[in-house]
Amino acid sequence: MATLLEQAEVGPELTSADLGRNPWALAGRRLRRNRIALAALALFLLIVVLSLAAPLYAKYVAHVNPFPPNLNGHTVVNGNVVPVMQQGGGTLHLGETPIGPTWDLGHYFLGADNVGRDVGALLLYGGRSSLLVGIGSAVLCCLAATVVALIAGFFGGTVDAVLSRIMDVIWAFPVYLLAISISTELLTHSSGFQFGPLHVSASSLWLPAVIIAFIFVPYVYRPVRGQVLAVVNKEFVEASIAQGAGNIRLIFSEILPNVVSTVIVLLPLMVATTILTESALSFLSVGVQPPNVSWGTIIQDGTSLLYTRPWVSIAPGIMILLTVLSLNVLGDGVRDALDPRAKLRVEG
Amino acid sequence: MKLPAARSARLQPRAWRRPRFRHRSGLSAGAAALGALTLILAACSSGSPSSSSSSSASAAAGHKGGTFTILANSAFGVADPAQNYTLQQWQLLIDTHDGLVGFAKVGGVAGSKIVPDLATSIPTPTNGGKTYLFHIRKGIKFSNGQTLKPSDFVRTFERQFTVPGPTSFYSGLIGADKCSTKGCDLSKGVVADDSAYTLTLNLTAPDPELMDQLSLPFAFAVPANTSPKLTGNNVPPGTGPYMWKSYNPNTQAVLVRNPYFHVWNATAQPDGYPNEIIEKFGLQVSDEVRAVQNGQANEVFDGDQIPSDQLSQLNSPKYASQVHVNTLTADWYFALNTRRPPFNNLQARQAINYASNRAALVKIAGGSSLAVPTCQILPPNYPSYTPYCPYTAGPGHNTWTGPDLAKAKQLVQQSGTAGMKVVVNGTNDQVGKALVEQMISDLDAIGYKATPQLLSTSVQYPFVQNSANSGKWNVGWSAWYQDYPAQSDFLNVLLGCGTIHPNSDASPNIAAFCDKSIQSKIDQAETMAATDPAGAATLWTQIDHADTDAAPWVDMYNPKQIDFLSSNVHGYLWNPQWYILIDRLWLS
Amino acid sequence: MLTFIIRRLLWTVLVLFVITVVVFIIFFKTPGVDPARAIAGRNPSAQVLQEIREQFGLDKPLPVQYGLMMKSIFIDRDLVSYSNQGVKVVPEIAAATPATLSLVFGAALIWVVMAIAVGVAAALLRGTVFDPLLMVLALIGVSAPVFWVGEVANLITQGTLHDTFLFSWVPPLGYTPLTQNPLLWFKGLVIPWITLSILYIGLYGRVLRANILETQNEDFVRTARAKGISERQVLLRHTLRTSMITFVSLFGLDFGALVAGGALLTEVVFGIHGVGYLTYQALANLDLPTIMATVVYGAFFIVLVNAIVDIGYAWLDPRIRPT
Repeated sequence: MATLLEQAEVGPELTSADLGRNPWALAGRRLRRNRIALAALALFLLIVVLSLAAPLYAKYVAHVNPFPPNLNGHTVVNGNVVPVMQQGGGTLHLGETPIGPTWDLGHYFLGADNVGRDVGALLLYGGRSSLLVGIGSAVLCCLAATVVALIAGFFGGTVDAVLSRIMDVIWAFPVYLLAISISTELLTHSSGFQFGPLHVSASSLWLPAVIIAFIFVPYVYRPVRGQVLAVVNKEFVEASIAQGAGNIRLIFSEILPNVVSTVIVLLPLMVATTILTESALSFLSVGVQPPNVSWGTIIQDGTSLLYTRPWVSIAPGIMILLTVLSLNVLGDGVRDALDPRAKLRVEG
Repeated sequence: MKLPAARSARLQPRAWRRPRFRHRSGLSAGAAALGALTLILAACSSGSPSSSSSSSASAAAGHKGGTFTILANSAFGVADPAQNYTLQQWQLLIDTHDGLVGFAKVGGVAGSKIVPDLATSIPTPTNGGKTYLFHIRKGIKFSNGQTLKPSDFVRTFERQFTVPGPTSFYSGLIGADKCSTKGCDLSKGVVADDSAYTLTLNLTAPDPELMDQLSLPFAFAVPANTSPKLTGNNVPPGTGPYMWKSYNPNTQAVLVRNPYFHVWNATAQPDGYPNEIIEKFGLQVSDEVRAVQNGQANEVFDGDQIPSDQLSQLNSPKYASQVHVNTLTADWYFALNTRRPPFNNLQARQAINYASNRAALVKIAGGSSLAVPTCQILPPNYPSYTPYCPYTAGPGHNTWTGPDLAKAKQLVQQSGTAGMKVVVNGTNDQVGKALVEQMISDLDAIGYKATPQLLSTSVQYPFVQNSANSGKWNVGWSAWYQDYPAQSDFLNVLLGCGTIHPNSDASPNIAAFCDKSIQSKIDQAETMAATDPAGAATLWTQIDHADTDAAPWVDMYNPKQIDFLSSNVHGYLWNPQWYILIDRLWLS
Repeated sequence: MLTFIIRRLLWTVLVLFVITVVVFIIFFKTPGVDPARAIAGRNPSAQVLQEIREQFGLDKPLPVQYGLMMKSIFIDRDLVSYSNQGVKVVPEIAAATPATLSLVFGAALIWVVMAIAVGVAAALLRGTVFDPLLMVLALIGVSAPVFWVGEVANLITQGTLHDTFLFSWVPPLGYTPLTQNPLLWFKGLVIPWITLSILYIGLYGRVLRANILETQNEDFVRTARAKGISERQVLLRHTLRTSMITFVSLFGLDFGALVAGGALLTEVVFGIHGVGYLTYQALANLDLPTIMATVVYGAFFIVLVNAIVDIGYAWLDPRIRPT
């Protein structure tokens, strides 16, 4: 059972010699000793590497271009040349069913989707989009939320009140309306947008990334603002002020470094959340747009084949599950490492 | 020749059948309470199911009974027959209401014939084709007990204008041009004589399609005291064998027998077999099919698209007697935006027609048993249709056999449009997305740079029609099903100069195609229809071929329709106008 | 305290107002949207469109239209849907609410009970292999997209294993009102309940376990132990209650969000015609009145629950003074 020593502030593996060392190095050591978190990190990196290798797989292993439809195509199964789309049998010959998983890495490993594309290759490309959008939007979100939280927490008073209310509005706002409306608006500008020197095409991955980042800013804002408030009231900040430090210096030198760890703890968890959200939006056709694919769009494509070719929907879901799981476990590990008094500890 | 003003008025905003929403499984579908199973087994005398149009009384009596349950993915919008323009409600309205005339409620080709219904006979027009005198049958009652009088038709026609909705079917009536949602006075155009029991329609100009237009549910009789305003989801009483008991678009519609109905013309309006007809809304199509497979319901609404994986299940021999496939007089096509490059160039349009892989597109539709590739405008089994397809590989000119990529690339080079960006617009459901992706692939193969633009179904159709958006797309998906079997319904409505309405969400000539010489042939054919029908028919064929040569579209295929019924349903009839005749089905 | 409450509620009203205004503006800026065309039926003439505009006040300036719409939602309650003018929106939402409530209440019951069980078990079994095992299981529940879990559930219960004794009792997808057929209501909701609760069992189990472990450090717990009370008693009688504070406040927020229509994906996948499903249909059809009404309904719940939770915190801990 829990002993006094285990409840102590310093973790059991640390000695008095560790006091005074760089806290980041200490955190790194704690993280390295957390085997489960390391395993999760390895899994996540594996998924990232596989997704980045998508073009290599498509070109050298599967020998397909997985993006255009391949309805009249053929492939080899057990040495026989078979059509990718097979017409129904019986007397009526209704329907065209794509082939199922062949479990042959070189030929339609996971089968074909409803327009004859290689699901295995699409899965890897989908990973690229899902990860890019997920990581991009999480980073954007944390950046934006930190900036707003810093301003709100530091200046307090009316500024804080106004910013917090704006966050309330965003949080209560119907997510799907925002996404659908923005997507419809953007889609009909087929030549893309000009933001000064920047040109963004309508199917750019930045669009869902920005939408998702925007939605979750209030979620990150709350804990970061809480941390800023806690730090702002500490004595060392008062000391700095007494020394004549200006606002900018205070924010960047005194407050931000003490808030960063909160943000770092949140980051993997936010990536997990944004990946899940992107898959939901893509499932509803308002996330990642063609010609890009993401795990969510592949799941959606597979729903019409759910009962005959379930792998088209199951495979991307498993990928999402593994990615988000590894990020959650990693996030726990990071939190444990940075804050030894952390309550949620994954023993390892 | 110059056309009288009224004629061109008829070519003006005219109602047309909107492409039916394809109901897909997946996110656009929902599910509602399937609820209690309501099949009531009725005693049914032995005897072969009546497949002829008029069944003998004894056979009819024997088959009566039961509740017929239809499952539909979504409801059909507001139920007022003066506004509703969906096949889904029309299939029910033909059972609850009647018009002066109607399409024969029989199966097969005979079902395209128009027969008298509430009128005793189809009159020959007088006064140069502008006056029609109908004798109205006596002794017919509405479902609320009121007796049908000729003056009921006055309100019926007025409502076409006072209720917002398609108006131009009846804009040839005298006085119609002054009618609006604020008020309508058709006292000169629709003259009712309740003592002589006659109804006279006075037109501003002869209209050979009048009988077709009077056979649409818009013109079905409602009582004279029906509100001129939209009646919302309350359907006014009708004279048919059934009446509307309730309609809740979130759950179901219920039809029960009209106690005042008797058969006066069994070809136009026979009695119905089921005692009750229920249509339930909101299920996923895949669940509808499963329910019918399990015998928990009787019909999957034939406008719902059955997903691929269940289509293959339906091939099983055990469903052989439950699945019916019929050819539709309909086109699924991609309109080419002729307002701007590259498709303002004829060679570019022909190029994509040569390159389009219609076999792949047919596979997306569910295979060759569900769609037939086509190059031309008119569909098979349609008046004036003769097979014509110039855009095929090989020497033939009649049927599409394969794409001709070499010719296509050559045409692209000649047109000088190679390398241009092309935006392909379509709907974001499964099939819509797949069709767009295939089109993009075909465009890329001949040297264009194509990108998709997918919109939700309710947004896409008005979007591609509105000229304000024409700078945003180059190729736009659409579909068209006949309103009634008239050549103008395709060739003039979709490709006529008069149906281009700038800055309007209702401009069915999506391609904005206007060729003056073809248009003059169209005008000539319309005038010839009354005097020389055979000559007009030949002219329409020439127009169809000329339009195909001008390539304003990439016409993809003519779809077929699947009717999937439960095993205890008998008496299936396919009517080319209304498709499945619901009240002619009987349950064992 | 009272002024704080009043101020918080006033902020609630302001937030609601801002949300409805933004929704209104977004709608009218979305291309392809013309309410007159939706009302006028299919393919009307330009003249009819103009008449509709005048009749429905669609040619008036936007602020006036906004005011009229708010009036018809709150005061007259006769706001009519653009997709189907026979349907009044407010009663439509009222009719859809029982489905959402059935789904959310059932799922909430399951997840609260299971989360407490999981959290307590993990805390009790700390030090054994079951603790991390339970936590990883909980994490799996949190990591799977809910619509995918629902689709897989459908695949299993309606497809592959439907004919076996395991799942033959599962009715076709859809919602049966409780008053119509209680047994069918129940059977039709079991799988959706489980699907929706998986996510939250994971979340709340972890939160509860963390709070229990934290509370076990407190002095009063050490005192109880020193008095010789068994560990189980300590846990159940002394620790659990204090640990539930975070649990309860999080529960309030999540429950509020779900009732507000946050179960949209679950409702769509299982075909339950609740408020979330209505929202989704309205968005797909760009039916502004229904969108507006569901947004008002949803935002109201979320903002209200947030305010209640904040007020509760302020009451519990006067040091916390959220602005």
